[in-house]
Amino acid sequence: MHIPDGFLDAKTIIATGALSTAGLGTALREAGKRLQARRIPLIGLTAAFIFVAQMVNFPVAGGTSGHLIGATLAAVLLGPSAAVIVMSSVLIVQAFLFADGGVLALGANIFNMALVAPSCGYGVYRLLGLVLRDERGQLVAVSVASWSATVIAAVFCAGELAWSGTAEWGTVFPAMAVVHMLIGVGEAAITMLVMAAIASTRPELLHGSDRPKIQEGLSPAFIYAAIITVGLVILVAPHASSLPDGLEKVAGALGFDHRALTSPIVPSPLKDYQLPGLSSTSGGVMAAGLIGGIIVFGLSFLLARVLLPRSKDAAGRQTSVKQR
Amino acid sequence: MNPAIEARNLQFRYPDGKEALRGVSFTVAQGECVGLVGPNGSGKSTLLLHLNGILPETLDKEATVIVNGMPLNRETSPAVRRDVGLLFQEADDQLFCPTVFEDVAFGPRQFGVEGEKLQEVVDRALGLVGLSGFENRSPHHLSSGEKRRVCLAGILACEPRVLALDEPTSDLDPRGKRTLTGILQSLPATKIIATHDLELVVQLCPRTIVLDEGIVVADGPTHELLADEQLMLSHGLEKPHILRHLHPH
Amino acid sequence: MRHDFLDRFSRLQSPIHRVPTAVKLGGSLGLITGLIATSVAHVWFFVAAAGLLILLTAMSRIPWKFVIRRLVLLEPLVLGVAAMALLQPNGGAVFLAIVVKSTLCLLAMILLSNTTPFAELLETLRRVRFPRLLVTILALLYRYIFVLIDEAERLNRARESRTFRNGRVRKWHSLASLVGQLFVRSTERAERIYAAMLARGWK
Repeated sequence: MHIPDGFLDAKTIIATGALSTAGLGTALREAGKRLQARRIPLIGLTAAFIFVAQMVNFPVAGGTSGHLIGATLAAVLLGPSAAVIVMSSVLIVQAFLFADGGVLALGANIFNMALVAPSCGYGVYRLLGLVLRDERGQLVAVSVASWSATVIAAVFCAGELAWSGTAEWGTVFPAMAVVHMLIGVGEAAITMLVMAAIASTRPELLHGSDRPKIQEGLSPAFIYAAIITVGLVILVAPHASSLPDGLEKVAGALGFDHRALTSPIVPSPLKDYQLPGLSSTSGGVMAAGLIGGIIVFGLSFLLARVLLPRSKDAAGRQTSVKQR
Repeated sequence: MNPAIEARNLQFRYPDGKEALRGVSFTVAQGECVGLVGPNGSGKSTLLLHLNGILPETLDKEATVIVNGMPLNRETSPAVRRDVGLLFQEADDQLFCPTVFEDVAFGPRQFGVEGEKLQEVVDRALGLVGLSGFENRSPHHLSSGEKRRVCLAGILACEPRVLALDEPTSDLDPRGKRTLTGILQSLPATKIIATHDLELVVQLCPRTIVLDEGIVVADGPTHELLADEQLMLSHGLEKPHILRHLHPH
Repeated sequence: MRHDFLDRFSRLQSPIHRVPTAVKLGGSLGLITGLIATSVAHVWFFVAAAGLLILLTAMSRIPWKFVIRRLVLLEPLVLGVAAMALLQPNGGAVFLAIVVKSTLCLLAMILLSNTTPFAELLETLRRVRFPRLLVTILALLYRYIFVLIDEAERLNRARESRTFRNGRVRKWHSLASLVGQLFVRSTERAERIYAAMLARGWK
């Protein structure tokens, strides 16, 4: 999802630059307040770890391979603010050393992959974690969270490209969203497998009182949410509320306003399928997203069962029949 | 004159309950070079970590380590750290800056040395280890012997009076070993060297302390201790080859 | 994998390498900003920029084979988006703009990253008062990438020596295990690095 230079226009660069500066600044301030000196090498090494982990080839088909992005993984392991710093560092090094992702586009790339992805991933993880409390549930939560984070980040990416005039929303949004729903499956699977591996060898890194996760207050979470919402308003919302041009023109020519088109003359069982104000493609993609999410949830559940045939609940008690 | 190091009944237990040191006491005189040997898990590394106050993590208990007459406690630990240069087992853990210069400069910088004086200090330290001209090199381009020497330079730059070295010759090839041994021999500081390399001990250290399961089981002249086959074998060591071929004259 | 793949040429000797880092950094950023801000209609600007970059690259002694290979190596995503750019009304012009701008910006960055050791970039960032914590993290990140790659390779080789069956599922499990192990080792290494920093007076 690294956007190179030349794909974004000036206003998008400036806007995303401002948003990422705000986000990264918040993370650095939070770290400055709450980070023990002891954790600084850990954050540095985790950044190196994510960088290297991103290089691992997970074979898919033919010659293609999947790769981990690791934003949600970092957030679950170290906490959201540390993850923002980790992912930003990785992106900065990639831009300056690899020319992987543009330099002026860093604002957008950091916003997508270092702010949106870890925050949303962490948020989804914690929300699901409220409901899925046992060991297996944790894995399912991290898996669905990683998938969601990937897709959401892709949506913002599409928004940036559309706002820059590089590609049309109607084309790039479905393309990015659907492609990343597929890529996200890989991210979900890999993240879950990695978490399971860590949990089986060093569970205290995930649950112990001395775990690497940095205890943060709630205020940064609100700030990240606010920044992401602003991003949503600038980058995504304007596109999502317009019909495809062709349809709009037809409606105008015929003297109908767009709302009229969504209330057909003959009532149909699918009447409520499309929300008023949303284009048909946007709606379709969102529907696909929802279905995709449910499928990922189901698959995660199955995978978690395979990984942990005997699950423990939050208190460490066995919840299924066989004793370990 | 104060002894360089005085350890009084050092005891240490790891958080997981493992007792690493069970009452270790010894004294090292100024300028001495002492070998610290023992099987794996004997507590050698743990002992060294006590000499500059990294362990125990909270230093409020009564001082059990005295360095150059200064008891090691929370107030004195920064000064003691400057005086005891600890060389860690893995060079990569200690060489954490992007260039050789920055890494060697790290220590002195902490003590406020800057500018021209810093350049001098770094130059001198690199000179001592035979790596002049390596300032701008990146650590990952160095051989393991060179990395080890940079780490040593980083410590020497702080001008410590005591050097505590943890396995300095591990993963060095014979040439690297010779180079490092020569450097160590040339340094006047008090040295305590924890190592499996018994040949090194014979070469450099007139005195040896044998540690096993957290206690000192022997402390005396190297030639005597290391030639005592039974002592060596019973503590997971063996008589070094150098001493096998010595005929009693 | 060779260690120096990241900044293989950054310590060559050439007139470009000798230019102060701040100048190179500022110059690159300025050029990239100019390239993005200028409309492709001003052809002369882009021709001049291209000419300048090619000249600088030639002077820098970076092998052309390397530069061209790097320029051509494009992520599928990038190709996809470029293709989508074509599809819109006035797509041809947009596509052309993207191709020209991104190629020139990429060349500028290849030039910068291969004529400037990363350590010096960091030093420059430090001097312009970039947030200290971030610079420290970047330094640690850069320093330990190679160490971790080595470690990952060793872990992988050990694993493969004991793998007698193939299959994608096993491979994923095995690779994920490797990644997990790498994290665990990274946390342990971080503790040792902290001890080493303390040992040299870090507060």
